[in-house]
Amino acid sequence: MTTALRPDALRRVERLGRIWEDRPGVLGWLTTTDHKRIGLLYLFTSLAFFAAGGTEALLIRTQLIVPNGSTLSPAAFNTTMTMHGVTMIFLFVIPISTGAFGNYLVPLMIGARDMAFPRLNAFSYWVFLGSGLFIYAGVFTGHGPNAGWFDYVPLASRTYNPSSAIDFYALGLIFNSISSTAAAVNFIVTIFKMRAPGMSLNRMPLFCYAFLAVSFALVFALPALSVDCAFLELDRRLGFSFFDPAHGGDVLLWQNLFWIFGHPEVYIIILPAFGIATSIIPTFTRRRMVAFPMVALAEILVAFIGFGVWAHHMFSVGLSTITTVYFAAASMIVVIPSAIQLFAWLTTLVTGRPIFKTPLLWIIGFIVFFIIGGLSGIMFAAIPFDQQLTDTYFVVAHFHFIIFGAAVFPLLGGLYYWFPKVTGRMYHEGVGKLSFWLSFLGSALAFFPMHIVGLLGMPRRVYTYSPQVGWAPYNLAESIGAYILAAGLVLLVANLVVSYFRGAPAPADPFGGTTLEWSTSSPPPPYNYAVIPTVTSAYPMWDVEDREEDVRKLDRGEMVLEEGHETPASTVLDANLDEVLDMPSDSPWPVVSALMITGIFAMLLTGHLIAMCIFLALFALSLGAWHGVEPQEA
Amino acid sequence: MSAGAARVDRRRLAQPNGWWGAALFIATEATLFGTLIATYYYLRFNATQWPPPGVEHPKVALPLILTAILVATTVPIFFAVRAARAGSARLAWLLFLVAVVVQAGYLGVQVHEFLSELDKFSPHDSAYASIYFTMIGAHHAHVVVGIAIELWVLWKLLGGLTNYRMIGVRVAALYWYFVNFAAVAVVLTQVYPSL
Repeated sequence: MTTALRPDALRRVERLGRIWEDRPGVLGWLTTTDHKRIGLLYLFTSLAFFAAGGTEALLIRTQLIVPNGSTLSPAAFNTTMTMHGVTMIFLFVIPISTGAFGNYLVPLMIGARDMAFPRLNAFSYWVFLGSGLFIYAGVFTGHGPNAGWFDYVPLASRTYNPSSAIDFYALGLIFNSISSTAAAVNFIVTIFKMRAPGMSLNRMPLFCYAFLAVSFALVFALPALSVDCAFLELDRRLGFSFFDPAHGGDVLLWQNLFWIFGHPEVYIIILPAFGIATSIIPTFTRRRMVAFPMVALAEILVAFIGFGVWAHHMFSVGLSTITTVYFAAASMIVVIPSAIQLFAWLTTLVTGRPIFKTPLLWIIGFIVFFIIGGLSGIMFAAIPFDQQLTDTYFVVAHFHFIIFGAAVFPLLGGLYYWFPKVTGRMYHEGVGKLSFWLSFLGSALAFFPMHIVGLLGMPRRVYTYSPQVGWAPYNLAESIGAYILAAGLVLLVANLVVSYFRGAPAPADPFGGTTLEWSTSSPPPPYNYAVIPTVTSAYPMWDVEDREEDVRKLDRGEMVLEEGHETPASTVLDANLDEVLDMPSDSPWPVVSALMITGIFAMLLTGHLIAMCIFLALFALSLGAWHGVEPQEA
Repeated sequence: MSAGAARVDRRRLAQPNGWWGAALFIATEATLFGTLIATYYYLRFNATQWPPPGVEHPKVALPLILTAILVATTVPIFFAVRAARAGSARLAWLLFLVAVVVQAGYLGVQVHEFLSELDKFSPHDSAYASIYFTMIGAHHAHVVVGIAIELWVLWKLLGGLTNYRMIGVRVAALYWYFVNFAAVAVVLTQVYPSL
């Protein structure tokens, strides 16, 4: 891209580079507000937690590989199983999808130079890191959360769980939701306000629709979890009686509030995967996405309906018939937007000319698993079926096909797809395909027999089982599958690490992508685009004249915005250019204020209320210092 | 400086990013209050007697009068924003000061009431008291945050208006409209057993 620039253009590009460059070294990473760097921080951190959660999964499978296994003690099994769920959901899937993919790609796809609130973005990351370490501090001090990832009372009450294990869970999740809320608000405003001129809502990539839907779901779902965890802490620490039936409380209150958050959460997990699928499929089938507006609406509809189905997690707790019937019907409605998307992907694949490169293979694996997990999901909407099989391995099979097969496979495919963009190097295609097949077959072998063993009656969350019940061969197969899957994932990481150092240099657009991020160099410069692109269709990379015009604009100095840390803001619906924003550059205050929040939660946990108030005051002061620099100074 | 900020504010076609961010933050906060109030009624409809035996019915007049006083601060805040958008930092400063004095007085009386009620019935004894004190405590926490934001605005306005502070003024006002709205929802829930 930078070949044969005219002297004027070259001078502008160099000027932009100087303005947008971060400080060198560790300090640069600590104070960065560059969405790409923050995205990478999210990526490495969430992959580290993925390794932790994966290790926990392998421990569970090693314990269950034979009857009467003795790898883990019953107590250690409970902690391992709980932390596997908590880690994978709160510390891996959400942060890698919104934090890493969203952060890195959303501003690039909409032609912006940064997120709407760059400092808040850094703050989200540091709070996420703090909350993850906070929850794992419990594990390393021997107080790992141990009441399952949905932490039902009364098992989680002080009477039955007197150690601080549950306090790490409840406070850790409140802590974590600060990060997710801040990130969600940031994404919505970025997508609404920061789109390149001409990118009206109907020209916005489907990827961004998915992230918009996810962010709205987070904004409205997380308060229920935070309030629920706050009730639990008040009950445990101050002796309140929210969940104590002896004093008028109700244990089902926990479950209701948890699932009011928890079901939207399922769609929060899977919608980014849908977004990635709708990015990869058009690129590798060489055609437009079928039914673009329908898919966009379906993405939003999934997030919306997700708020009305929570009690289908509670069919066996004794709700009234009318309640369960309503929630069964509502749950079946979810099939409609899911099927719209599924058929749109399939039609695009069938009517295009698919090129089966590694990223597309992961998406096809995703579609296969999504169909299997979706079909068992519909079964659970039938109340008698659910009441029979709830809390068995059939449920475990269902949600692993959805949460691993359908939600994580596109993330892994996405890692391959955007690897050349992020690093400027190509991955190894052959090893990439091998890692896919190992992961695909490993997942199928690990999760499919769980259906059968569930139908045979094996309950979930048991730490072992007797040789007489006939579950041993299935469990053996599941464990072997888990090891194969782990080998596939290790191969994926190895491929990317080796390619980072030795891969062939990647051009700006190695796959013929459809969205704007492929128009800038690989890796993108700190300012993303030398000229803010003007968009005239939903597939801006296929509008060759527009992209050639961008290069000419650089010569003329139009839309270069080189006066400072500048990026345009536009109107919400039509993306008419509204104003040029002077964005904040690097700042130490996000990381400092996140540190203060970590202090607040650590003191809450240990019960030092005066120290907590000191951290609270320091937090307020650091917010004041944060706003001492006013980037939009006239 | 202040006039320049007002000009930029008028020229904008859409709401600024800061306004959108605050609106979404308020959306999540409103969901939090919605969850608290929903919990109140959830527990209430599980109970045969509400409030439970031995707990007196909540006062009606005092909370309603206090809330009316709090909600009345919407007026000076509204005009403070208009003043700021017209470029008058000084008038905006005075109006915010009026609001913050009234709100601080409100908070003082409310906290006093809260503590004296804690002596009468305890969250240890009933789910009613648990949600009662949690809901009202959450409301008080929001008043404290609102006052802190206003004090920051007052301090910043001493140096005149900039684009950044103009958005700050509008965001502080938006937040207070929400706190006042939530105050009405909370107080109606609070006095409901006595109605």
